[in-house]
Amino acid sequence: MTSIPLNQVLILAAMLFTVGLVGLLVRRNVFFMLMSIEVMLNSAGLAFVVAGARWGQPDGQVMFLFIITMAAAEVSIGLALILRLYQQFKTLDVDAASELQG
Amino acid sequence: MTFQDLMPLLPLLVLSATIVTVMLVTAFKRNHRLIFSLTLLGLVLSIVALPFASHGLPRSVTPLLVVDQFAIFYMGLVLATSFVVVLLSFNYLEKVEGNKEEYYLLTLLATLGAVVLVISNHFISFFLGLETLSISLYALIAYTRFERHRVEAAIKYLVLAAAASSFLLFGMSLAYLVFGTMQFDQMASLGGLSTVDLGLLTIGLAMLMVGIGFKLALVPFHMWAPDVYQGAPAPVTAFVATVSKGGIFALLIRLFANIPLTVGSNLWNVFALIAILSMVGGNVLAVIQTNVKRILAYSSIAHFGYLLVAFLAVNSLSTSSMTFYLVAYIITSLIAFGVIAVLSDPKKEFEELDDYRGLFRQHRGAAIFMVVALLSLTGLPPTGGLVGKIFLASAGVQSSLWLLLAALAIGSVIGLFYYLRVAITIFRSPEGETPPWSAPPISRFANATLFVLSIGLVVLGIIPNPLMQLIQSMVAHLGG
Repeated sequence: MTSIPLNQVLILAAMLFTVGLVGLLVRRNVFFMLMSIEVMLNSAGLAFVVAGARWGQPDGQVMFLFIITMAAAEVSIGLALILRLYQQFKTLDVDAASELQG
Repeated sequence: MTFQDLMPLLPLLVLSATIVTVMLVTAFKRNHRLIFSLTLLGLVLSIVALPFASHGLPRSVTPLLVVDQFAIFYMGLVLATSFVVVLLSFNYLEKVEGNKEEYYLLTLLATLGAVVLVISNHFISFFLGLETLSISLYALIAYTRFERHRVEAAIKYLVLAAAASSFLLFGMSLAYLVFGTMQFDQMASLGGLSTVDLGLLTIGLAMLMVGIGFKLALVPFHMWAPDVYQGAPAPVTAFVATVSKGGIFALLIRLFANIPLTVGSNLWNVFALIAILSMVGGNVLAVIQTNVKRILAYSSIAHFGYLLVAFLAVNSLSTSSMTFYLVAYIITSLIAFGVIAVLSDPKKEFEELDDYRGLFRQHRGAAIFMVVALLSLTGLPPTGGLVGKIFLASAGVQSSLWLLLAALAIGSVIGLFYYLRVAITIFRSPEGETPPWSAPPISRFANATLFVLSIGLVVLGIIPNPLMQLIQSMVAHLGG
């Protein structure tokens, strides 16, 4: 079995991270912002798996499981908040919900 | 895992047991007073458990956690702070319509997260502690969710905190890639790294700093702080300002006790830039605010900039002076936000500067407590804030960080202006005959708490030595 070179996977992870970050900055719909964050979190998870593979340790994959778990917890609270946001502002656009300023 | 391993974790176990108890009791019987008492009892018991945990230290419990004197001190700080926040929340919660009990559950969970952060020695425990803390905070910020601004503040915090967490995780993964270990105390071997590895490590640590800088609300990662401070219920703001930031700062100290940070290195320069921006930016932005919670948010940005001065000094005074300052800052914040919390109710927060006109006439006690807190934030005698700032500055002087010290001085002078503006407003008479809003009576309970805190802060300012000696005996050995 040929192994995939380390740097290629790292580049992929970095690209995914960038895609997520750009999505987060560009999209104004709060759903898409949450999805972009998922992409960023998973790219970090991918980087952990690569790092674990480099040292032949399971730690990277363990960390990946923790990341998935935490992302699920975060999304569940996020979705509850989005429901409240929609009831209050009748929109999912985060720019509309921007009364705190000063 | 033996019985000897469990003893150092006793405070953590007691706290977790309290969480389960509170959850189960809430499921069977909703009684605000009962849950409140249980929460306080649990926190007191975990503080009482600290001496039992401090035999035969330092001790690693699994590779994930390490309990040493430093950890015991910071655990005590986090637990005691959380205790005071809960005490000051009761009256506010009484006025909340709907369920009150989950507030205590979430506060305890967030405290657990902070405690795990304080004793973590591994990226996994760091991450788990941080997320336990953050996810509880998302829910706490939106706690009285039918009021305006709560949901907005919570969503802002959630989106930005989650993005910061991904930066943090990516940074961790790069550090792991280079070091081959996620344990802090095995990361010290910087020598013998190839150029590529060194580059990856620099990127990794920079991304780690984005995450930590966000949690501590350092410029330029501070955008969330004013909005969240303003939008969250007052007791939750107190929690964010004290327990959450204190826990993360303890972790920062521990992490960089293992990863050497030499004066003048690239990473050090970035930290120095962040510190200067925070000190100057935080104070300048605070001047234009008219909302006291926002003023305190910007002020906390500046104060964590001050803390970084000692952090960057990297000498024998650093850890003890930072710890002293953090203690003084936490007491000060508890008083300031405590006063706001006892005067607020969920529908109308006591936060606009105009509300404070005539406070001295209506609530002599609360006004004096607030002024003591403001004096300490400014760094005027006779308060702990002044002594703390002197300690920070002396750490900076020992390493000749003149630029940072100049920023500290400039920041303090700007601070003088807006803190005193609030203080003066408190003593001014209200416009017209009737005050703009009738402040609610403050319970004797809350008054006593604030009184004790204020006395403590003044005592700290007059005789700082006992605390300083305690700190030196407990935190000095870290990383040594």
